[in-house]
Amino acid sequence: MLELKFTKEHEWVRIMDELAIIGISDFAQEQLGDIVSIELPKTGGVFRQGQTMAIVDSVKASSDIYAPISGEIVEVNEGLIEKPEVINQSPYDLGWIAKIKPSKMEEFESLMTREEYDRYIGQIK
Amino acid sequence: MKIIFEHEEENNTGHLQEEDVCIELPSDIVRKEPLPIPNVNEVDVVRHYTNLSRMNFGVDIGFYPLGSCTMKYNPKVNEDAARAEGFSNLHPLSPEECTQGSLKLMWELKEYLKDITGMDDFSLQPSAGAQSELLGVMIAKAHFRSKGEKRTKAIIPDSAHGTNPATASICKLETITIPSDSRGNMDIGRYKELLSPEVALVMLTNPNTLGLFDENTTEISHLAHKNGTLMYCDGANMNALLGITRPGDQGFDMIHLNLHKTFSTPHGGGGPGAGVLGVKSFLAEYLPIPQVVKRDSRYSLDYASKKSVGRVRSFYGNFGMHVRAYSYIHSWGTQIRKVSEHAVLNANYLQDLLKDTFDLAYDRRCAHEFVLSSRRFGEKSALNIAKRLMDYGFHPPTIYFPLIVPEALMIEPTETESKETLDRFVLALKKIASELKEHPEIVKQSPLSTPVGRLDEVAAARRPNLRWRPSQRQTKVE
Amino acid sequence: MDYIPATEKDIKEMLNLVGVSSINDLVREFIPAFRGKLNLPQPKSELELLGHMKGLAHTNKVLRYFIGGGAYNHYIPSAVSHLLARGDLYTGYTPYQAEMSQGTLQAIYEFQSFICLLTGMDVANASLYEGASALAEAALLSCSYTGRDHIFVKEGLHPQYLEVLQTYCEGSELTVTDKIDDKTACVIAQNPDFYGNIENMHYLAEQAHSAGALFTTCIIEPTSLAILEPPGKYGADIVAGEGQSFGIPLSFGGPYLGFIAVKDFLLKKLPGRICGMTTDSKGNRGFVLTFQAREQHIRRERATSNITTNQALMALAATIYLALMGRTGLTRVAKLSYARAHLLNGKLEKVGFRNLNIKPFYNEFAVKVPGSAEALASRLLKKGILGGVNLAEDSLLICCTEMNSVQDIDDFVSAVAGD
Repeated sequence: MLELKFTKEHEWVRIMDELAIIGISDFAQEQLGDIVSIELPKTGGVFRQGQTMAIVDSVKASSDIYAPISGEIVEVNEGLIEKPEVINQSPYDLGWIAKIKPSKMEEFESLMTREEYDRYIGQIK
Repeated sequence: MKIIFEHEEENNTGHLQEEDVCIELPSDIVRKEPLPIPNVNEVDVVRHYTNLSRMNFGVDIGFYPLGSCTMKYNPKVNEDAARAEGFSNLHPLSPEECTQGSLKLMWELKEYLKDITGMDDFSLQPSAGAQSELLGVMIAKAHFRSKGEKRTKAIIPDSAHGTNPATASICKLETITIPSDSRGNMDIGRYKELLSPEVALVMLTNPNTLGLFDENTTEISHLAHKNGTLMYCDGANMNALLGITRPGDQGFDMIHLNLHKTFSTPHGGGGPGAGVLGVKSFLAEYLPIPQVVKRDSRYSLDYASKKSVGRVRSFYGNFGMHVRAYSYIHSWGTQIRKVSEHAVLNANYLQDLLKDTFDLAYDRRCAHEFVLSSRRFGEKSALNIAKRLMDYGFHPPTIYFPLIVPEALMIEPTETESKETLDRFVLALKKIASELKEHPEIVKQSPLSTPVGRLDEVAAARRPNLRWRPSQRQTKVE
Repeated sequence: MDYIPATEKDIKEMLNLVGVSSINDLVREFIPAFRGKLNLPQPKSELELLGHMKGLAHTNKVLRYFIGGGAYNHYIPSAVSHLLARGDLYTGYTPYQAEMSQGTLQAIYEFQSFICLLTGMDVANASLYEGASALAEAALLSCSYTGRDHIFVKEGLHPQYLEVLQTYCEGSELTVTDKIDDKTACVIAQNPDFYGNIENMHYLAEQAHSAGALFTTCIIEPTSLAILEPPGKYGADIVAGEGQSFGIPLSFGGPYLGFIAVKDFLLKKLPGRICGMTTDSKGNRGFVLTFQAREQHIRRERATSNITTNQALMALAATIYLALMGRTGLTRVAKLSYARAHLLNGKLEKVGFRNLNIKPFYNEFAVKVPGSAEALASRLLKKGILGGVNLAEDSLLICCTEMNSVQDIDDFVSAVAGD
C-alpha cells in the first residue's frame, strides 16, 4: 500500500506514477455524515496548497475540501457526481476525489504520516 | 394523503361560465397539448387542503418557541383590516387620488418605525429581512462610491444569522468573521485588530442570536464611525427593545426590521414577510424609489431621488403586511414597551427554570431569547429533544443555531404566552431530560404522535423527487 | 389591546423566581436607555382600531379595472380565502421541523409541481418574493452557472422589472448589455411582453445557446400558459415570473408571488427553498425541505442566494386556486380574458383608436388614442374606470380579464366617446 499522508483539514494524499491522488479521510466522512453532493474542480484547474478545491454537501452541512498540495488537476472522479455516497463508503479507495500533478513535491514530505494523523484526531475528538 | 394530482378526474366546479371563444393565434405559439393539470371538484379541493392543514402546527395551535423568529400571536383584527375591500382590491397603478388611504398608512407606518428605532427615514419596499440586508449593503456601497472610497470587506460576528455573510458575498464583499467572547459579546479585541479602512460595514444583530445584548455596542459604533465604517443592525431581535432603547441611539446607521417577527404579521408557513430598512439621514438619498412622501395633507409616490440605488422589487412592497403591522402598532400605541418587557421577562423566567437541567451557553441574564446546550446528553441530543417535544404538543425551539454553541437549543417564548404555558413547557423538557437517561430509545424514535415519523432526508437529497410527474400516478387508493 | 395573557399575580411570581423586583431590572443593560416619549398613537380597543382601519380603507377608491401592467384583476374563487384563513396554515413558520409541517410541505410540493407542469420545466422552487426579484435571481443564477457576467435583455421587458434587474446587477457587479456574445450569461425575454406581444421564442433560445448563454423567459401573466406554448418547449433553461394572477388579490402591489423553474442541470444553482418527497422509517410518504446545503443557513458566504422567508402563503393561495380551477377553469380564464381584450380592441378601433401591437396579443394590448391619453384617462375616471397604463402622450396599455363583462366593455367605449 503506497504511503498515505494527511493534512490537518483531513485530506489524504497518495503519490502514484508521479501523480498525487487526493481524498478525504474516514474521520472526515464520518463527521460530515451522509454526503449528498460534491462540487468537483475542473480539470486543468491550478490550485495552491490550502486553497479550496472542492465543496462537499451533506444534508446539514457544506464543507470545503482544500488542495493538500499545489498543482494542476489532471483528472477528477466524475462518478462521485451521481453517487457521492461512495465517499462515505470507501473514502480511501473508490471515493478518491481528484488527481493532481504536483508542482512542489516538498509539500508532500511535510504532511502528517498515518500515525501522526491518528494521534492528531485522537486529540481533537 | 393523496397529492392533488393523484385525484381521480372529476367534474369541474364551474367558478367561471363557459363561453364559446375562438382563439385566433398562430399555431406556432399556441399550446399543442392539453393543460396537464387535473380537474378536481371544489368539495374535494376543500377537503384536501383542510386535511393538509390538520397535519400542521401553528401559533394558533400551541407554543412555538423558535429562537430569533418571534412566533408571537397574530391578531385576527389585523387580518380583517388587511382584507378590507379598499386595501385588498386596490390596483397598484391606480391614480394617487384613489390611493390616499394606502399612501397615508405607509407614510404613518414609516413615521412610527422611525420613532421606535431612532432612525431618520425608512423604505417599506423590501419583501423580507434578507432583501433589506441586500438593500442595506447596496446602499453602503453606493455611499462609499460617492465618497470615492473602495471598501471591500464586511465585519460579521460568528454568531450571525447566515443571511448576513450570504448577503455580503452576493454583493462581492469579503466577510471578516469575528469570534464571540466568553460573555457572548463580539470579541472587542479582535474587532479592533481587524477594523481597517477597507471595512465598509459592521453587521450586528443586537441583542445577538445568543439572546444577549452586546455590552460593547457603543464602543463598536464609536470605533466604526471613527474609521468611516457604517454600522448595520440586523433588527430581527427588535422584540426585546421596543420603547426601551433605540438602535439609532446605539450608533447604528442602518437597521432592518422584520414585520413578520416583532410586528406580529403572520409567518404564513414561510412568508410573506416584510423587511423594512431604516437609515440615518445621510443615507436617505440612496433609498429605493418610489418613496412615500407627504406634502400639505396629500400623500404621493416620489420618484425624484437621483442617488437612489433603484428598485429591489416591483411596486411598493408587501402592502398587505404593512397594513397588519400598522394595525398592530395602533393596538399597542404608546404602551408598546410592555411588549418587550414581557418578552424579556418570559425568556428570563424560562432560562432560570431550565438552567440546571441543561447547560446555559452564557451565564448572563438574557434578552428576549436564550440558548441552552444539551451537550451533557450526548451527540444529537438537541435533535432528539426537538423531535420528542412534538409528542408533548410543543413546536421545538431552534436547534443547531447559533453554530458556535454545540447541541444548541435557542428558545424565544415571546410575550404572548401565559405563565401556565411556560410552566408546561419546562415540565415537558424536564421529562424529556429524564427520558434521555432512562428510556433513550423512545426519544431517539420520536416523534411518535405525528402523521409521519422522522423522514429520510438523505434519500430526499440523493434521489430527489421535487415535483410530481404523470408517470407517478398511484393505482392504489389511500 | 393587550395580547399578554400574564396577570399581575403571574408577573409577581415570575419576577420572584427570576430574583428581581421589577421588569426594569431585566432591561437595564439595554443602553442607551430611551427616556423620551414615543410619538405613537394612543392604544386602541379592537372596536376603535377597526373603525380607524376601515376609515383609511374607505379613503381609497376601487375602480373598474381595465389595467394590467404587472398586476392582474382575476376572479378569485371564494374557497381560496376561506382555506387561507385557517390558523394551521398561516400561523406556522418555515417547515424546518417536517413532522409537524406536512400540510405546508405537501402544499409546497404541489405548488412546485403546478409550476413545472404549466411551464414545461423540470424543477421549481418553493417561491420567491415577486416577479421582478425572481427575474433578478434568474440572472444571478445564470452568472453563477456560466461564470460570465453580462445579461442581455430583449426589448419589451416590464420597465420596473428592468429597473430591479439593473439594481441587482449593480449590486453584484454584473452588466446589462445589448449584445449576445461570449460574455453573455443569460438572454432574457418576457412573453407575452410588456405591451402584450406574444412571440415564438425558438430563435432567441438558439441564439442564446449558440453563444453559450442560458435562455430565460419571464412570465408576468401566467394565465397565458393555459393557451400558449410553455417555455420548456421552446428552449427556456429558466422561467422566472409573477404568480399573482393565480388567486392573489391586487393588494396595492403586494404580497405577490415570485416563481422560478429550471431544467434539471441547473438544480444545484436554484435559489431559495425546495421541497422534496421522501419516506419515514415505516415507509410512509412524507415531504421535507431538501438541498438545504445550497442555502444561506448552511453555506453562508457560499450560498446560492440569501433568501429565507419567501412567499409560502401566497404559493399556497396559488396552489389552491389552480386546484379549484383545474384544467377546465384555467382555460376558461384564458379564453375569456383573450375574448374580452379582443372585443374591446375591436370596438376601440371603430372609434378612432389604433392597435400598436406588432405581434398577436393575449389579454393586454397597446393602442394609440385619438387625442391625449391623459384626457381620456380623466374621462374614464369620472365613470369609475381605470382605463390602462399611460404609455406616452397618446398611447395606452389596456388589459381585460374575465372580470370585465361585456357591459363593462360597452361602458368603457361609451365613456371614450364622452357620453
